[in-house]
Amino acid sequence: MDDSYVNEILAQYRADPYGYVDSHTIHTGSINFYVKKDEKVEGVSGEWRHISGTKLYSLHREGNDKPVFSRSSGIVSSIRTDLEGKFVEAGEKVITIRYPLKKREIIEKILRRVLVPFKAPERAKYFFSLDIQSRIDKFGHRSVAVKPGDEILTMSLMKRDTPIYYQGEPGIIHSVYFQPGITMEQDEPLIGICPAEKLPVIQKVINRVKAEWE
Amino acid sequence: MKEKVLIANRGEIAIRIAEACQSLGLDFVLVYTGADEDSEHVRRYLDSKSNKNRAWRISNYTDPNDILSVADYTKCTAIHPGYGFFSEDFRFARRVTIRNRPLTFIGPKWEVIKDLGDKINTKRVANKLGIPTIPGTDAPIYNEIEAEAIAENILEKQEIQGIAEPSVLVKAAAGGGGMGIEEVLQPEQFRRVYRQIQNYAKRQFGDGGVLIEQCLRDYNHLEVQLVCSRHNERVYFGTRNCTIQSTGRQKRVEAAPGFDSSCFSYDFDPDDVLNKIVQYSLKLADHVKYDNVGTWEWIVARDGSPYLLEVNTRIQVENDVSARISYLKKKHPNLIREQIRLALGDKMGYSQKKIKFKGACIELRVVAEDTRRGFQPWIGTISRFDFPRHDWSAVYTHVPFDRPYVIPSDYDPNLALAIVWGADVDEAKERGRRFLNEVVIEGENGKGEPILTNIPYLKDNIDNLLRF
Repeated sequence: MDDSYVNEILAQYRADPYGYVDSHTIHTGSINFYVKKDEKVEGVSGEWRHISGTKLYSLHREGNDKPVFSRSSGIVSSIRTDLEGKFVEAGEKVITIRYPLKKREIIEKILRRVLVPFKAPERAKYFFSLDIQSRIDKFGHRSVAVKPGDEILTMSLMKRDTPIYYQGEPGIIHSVYFQPGITMEQDEPLIGICPAEKLPVIQKVINRVKAEWE
Repeated sequence: MKEKVLIANRGEIAIRIAEACQSLGLDFVLVYTGADEDSEHVRRYLDSKSNKNRAWRISNYTDPNDILSVADYTKCTAIHPGYGFFSEDFRFARRVTIRNRPLTFIGPKWEVIKDLGDKINTKRVANKLGIPTIPGTDAPIYNEIEAEAIAENILEKQEIQGIAEPSVLVKAAAGGGGMGIEEVLQPEQFRRVYRQIQNYAKRQFGDGGVLIEQCLRDYNHLEVQLVCSRHNERVYFGTRNCTIQSTGRQKRVEAAPGFDSSCFSYDFDPDDVLNKIVQYSLKLADHVKYDNVGTWEWIVARDGSPYLLEVNTRIQVENDVSARISYLKKKHPNLIREQIRLALGDKMGYSQKKIKFKGACIELRVVAEDTRRGFQPWIGTISRFDFPRHDWSAVYTHVPFDRPYVIPSDYDPNLALAIVWGADVDEAKERGRRFLNEVVIEGENGKGEPILTNIPYLKDNIDNLLRF
């Protein structure tokens, strides 16, 4: 990977340095909004991420109000005010928040293109295998090395658990792109593997973004 | 007040319930998840342009708040849980019926589900009534050392009895439908399997309890279909045999009646055994004052000894197999219709004497799966789907005939239930073979490989029906 490739990627992010987060209703209920279009909102914060972000809306059902808070700081770029006070179905897109990308996110996005991806063989839910999970719990995922043939994941598909064996270049688990129990689409990268010889290159990318990105 | 039913399920059963409601003149609504948007059970009833929307998107079929909020908003008066999901959850049934705006739960009373819906408790109650059950634990085990001691004890007893290949089954106590069950042949394998099942049970059901039972070999798996009312009326609609199952113990071919002498030379009197399991089932139903449809599941060993396995306190996938050998006023009953009618408080209107049994019926579950690779689910898009139409067959499916359909990976890849019936078992088998030869299913997965279904497996297994 040469500098021009990194330059090209960075130029793309400079042209549109924003991320967009859509908020879909997490369940059914009557909706009430607490923000307006173009309003500034705060994301979750605090040392332990214990301070909720701005309250975006609440869903009322079964005698309970379920407040939904912003996870990112940014601006409300679109909002479905036509639904105010109405009964909504689950999964309805109601708000979009636009936020400036952070260095960490830029690095992660670049690394996603650079690391060796291990892709989801099927649309399914994934979990680390018991052995890998215990090593991650003890040492952190960047200290866990994998090689072809290792049982690294459990694929939970249609209530059946199937072991998934690693195929690809040996290396360490540098990035984890899935959350246990959340469905991943087929061919989406689950983890990013960094072969030992690529570590200096990865570090160079990280340093460069840290130095150049404001 | 006119009743309105919320159908809290998906796929073919949602369609069958909707049709049963229509035949009873009842209004209804359905719920669905994003993954099921293209299912026929949604498309058929979704009319987003009008205010008469009958299909409502929820987050999950197992979110009671979502289901109840839709029920209230659409002014439903009853909830039909179908099978799976909440159908055997007494807490859900209780919550539906005891609330500010009570609804009718279309199923047994929650107290009855509590007594029988839990297979562990069922075993305890059955043992008290002298109804035979499979040797093993009758409470969930959470301790590995205790579990290992129990397994060793069961294995030892089998060796003393001279049983060839003694083994135990380790089951997720909160599981069902054949999921979360593994066999252990050697004591030294036990801990690994125990941990595997416990881990699976915690993840899938939120409870790591396991059951340990003797693994019976060389048996048939039978069912007794009961229909009961809120007015202390109880009848049975024959027996079924569902021995042919996938390696994950999910049923694939079912037949009624439960045994037939033309298929096999049994070591026992088949009529006598069938009568025995019917009487035991009714005895337990009477004891718990069972008040809706339910299935009593039995294991019958080669020597004819029956063991109660569990009670399914719900409508069963294969209910129509029983209906097609049963006649009420010379017509096949619709057991889903009966279930709704009786749950809403109707009297049965007939007695056991009025139910006549005639002929034989087979259900073939058409599933997208690789039967040669442990019944591995197949995921992909169906491009062509068609079934023959005969006056001796019925097909229940949520897969559309007129457009491509992507099989959602969130649920089992069941495509259709095909029911064929005839004057006797031979005729039903012959028609089953003919039916399967006429089925058309085409499609491919993400890699461009053609669809895999279990149709060859179904064809191969028709001859094995009702045999040991």
